[in-house]
Amino acid sequence: MLPMGRMGFTPEGSVWPIEARGRDSDRPRLTRVIADLYRQRALVWAFANRDFATRYRSSILGWAWSLLQPLATLLVYAAVFSLVFRIQAPPLGADPERTSFAAFLFTGMVTFNLFSGLLMLSMTQLRSNGELLRKVHFPAWTPILGASIVQLVQVALEVIVLIAMFLWLGNIGISWLLAIPILLGTALFGQGVGLMLAVLNARFGDVQYIVQVVLQALYFLTPILYPLALVESTASWLAWIVKANPLTWFVETMHQVMYSLVFPQWWVVPGLVLLGAVVFWAGFTIFNRTSEDIGELL
Amino acid sequence: MRGRSKQTQDFWAIRNVSLSIPRGSVYGIIGHNGSGKSTLLKLMTGIYRPTEGAITTDGRVAALIELGAGFHPDMTGRENIRLNGSILGLSRGEIEHSMDTIIDFAGLRDFIDDPVKHYSSGMYVRLGFSVAVHMRPDVLLIDEVLAVGDEEFQRKCFDHLYTLRREGRTIVVVSHGLGQLEGLCDEVAWLDHGEVQSVGGATDTISAYLTRVNAEETMAGAVAAAERGDDTARAGNGAVRCMSARLIDAEGQPLQHAETGRTLGFEVQMTCYERILGPNLRFALQHESGQLVTMMSNHRYGFDFGHIEGEKTVTALLTDNPLLPGRYRVHIDIFDHTGSVLIDNWDDAVEFTVRSARGEIGQGFVELPYTYSIT
Repeated sequence: MLPMGRMGFTPEGSVWPIEARGRDSDRPRLTRVIADLYRQRALVWAFANRDFATRYRSSILGWAWSLLQPLATLLVYAAVFSLVFRIQAPPLGADPERTSFAAFLFTGMVTFNLFSGLLMLSMTQLRSNGELLRKVHFPAWTPILGASIVQLVQVALEVIVLIAMFLWLGNIGISWLLAIPILLGTALFGQGVGLMLAVLNARFGDVQYIVQVVLQALYFLTPILYPLALVESTASWLAWIVKANPLTWFVETMHQVMYSLVFPQWWVVPGLVLLGAVVFWAGFTIFNRTSEDIGELL
Repeated sequence: MRGRSKQTQDFWAIRNVSLSIPRGSVYGIIGHNGSGKSTLLKLMTGIYRPTEGAITTDGRVAALIELGAGFHPDMTGRENIRLNGSILGLSRGEIEHSMDTIIDFAGLRDFIDDPVKHYSSGMYVRLGFSVAVHMRPDVLLIDEVLAVGDEEFQRKCFDHLYTLRREGRTIVVVSHGLGQLEGLCDEVAWLDHGEVQSVGGATDTISAYLTRVNAEETMAGAVAAAERGDDTARAGNGAVRCMSARLIDAEGQPLQHAETGRTLGFEVQMTCYERILGPNLRFALQHESGQLVTMMSNHRYGFDFGHIEGEKTVTALLTDNPLLPGRYRVHIDIFDHTGSVLIDNWDDAVEFTVRSARGEIGQGFVELPYTYSIT
């Protein structure tokens, strides 16, 4: 049974008044966020099912497209940056004699795409579900998380390709296991920022275009197409910006555990997960605070 | 139940509204467009929040505000039932449990696994209605969606609403279908510019509302009358031309609209260009549905105009107007005394509305005189 948010419909029929706006005295506690997520799991899942069913329904290759697109990007970037600009990837963890620019590049791409994919998708969901949100009362974040689940499946496919690449290169290590919490942190981080901006984007459609431009800049300010050492050796002020970029933290740690097969310092991975969790909690709370009149806003 | 909503520029869509809707009753909300009916309903569902005041609801609320609002065109009917059910607050188990009932009620057994984009608009709303009414709500809110589907489905909907009512569920209906409301509701609230004008028994409130609407229309005063003149090209030999026509009451005063049971007259001004013997002037009354209701004719009535010339005014009085509420059109034609030569013809001369002083909207076009007896 799903109690419908603020109105508190329960099968037993308890009476919760709908209070006037601005009287929400509930403290945004982490336990409440988790309880909300759990209570609405069926609805989130229903939206995920809808998006699964309809994402590639009218195309023949279907899910294959979701892999072809990043692989094509990988091919172009790998060719341009390793052959034309002659950027050298760092040595592989399993064999310091060899390097693989494609594997290095794809590790960073997967991590960055996880963040940017969830962010962009979350930001546009309120608009694409506007018809529904104007007519029916339900928690507005449920279609957002539903869409994100589908996006996560796509990322899982990319990760499988990444693993296949490293298996083929013979670059295997126990440090791989740390990729799971790192990717979890990345996902929470992207989802949190997406939730923060979702209502703002529903109000001002310009937000998503601004974010798109910012993401493009961030892509080049994150060591995806080049090793961090390269930028450190050339321009110190640029290195400073790159190092201050939180996405660099996630991408560099992924490079360490997947490509270089090195264990980061003990606090790095828990720190990244904590960062992701805090941003998600903040995003969820901000979203709930600002989305209460979404039916009127859209 | 009290709700107040504030919109931009300090326009209060609903203010100082305090209503309590008893459990198990059918409650109607009426009022002109923009009076705040739908806003009140959206407040009850929680889509809008009140700026001031509070709304207390006991039990699960389901709203039929827009049928099939959550349907995805690429998904099949069955997939859409699952999604829509989840959005409306049903659990997976409850949805699967009522799946067959929903499909059968909508009458879509053969098409349920086709994408809904291939559905007709009728099938679409039938499915939407079926999902909403089968979620076993304690409170069902209905906004102008009673006129759904064909005659048979509408009857099914009403039967179902009566069933819900018998089960002690509360139904709140917003509608302009005053006749439907009078039959269905226990109580009716009349909203005017966001405030409650009156609350009470269905018949009383609806009558009060209708009286106001009729009075306002009389004030605004578009008279049911038409000028024609002689310049239009038209059928007939032209010996006589109808120049104008209008609706009048028993005293000969022009009318804006007719009322069931109150004598009503049709008056035609005509100009005779030559002296003419005993023409037949007919008024055909047509209902908005296209059905001819009756044809009034002075020959049939046995009334002979004799020889006429110059300006003449003909009046046909319909004593105790038996026409039931609705829109009607008057067509006028004139034949010569043999009934074979058309002299003048005026289609759609006057259009008028028949209203009822009481709330009820009868079935059919006319109220015939009848008596009952029981032995």
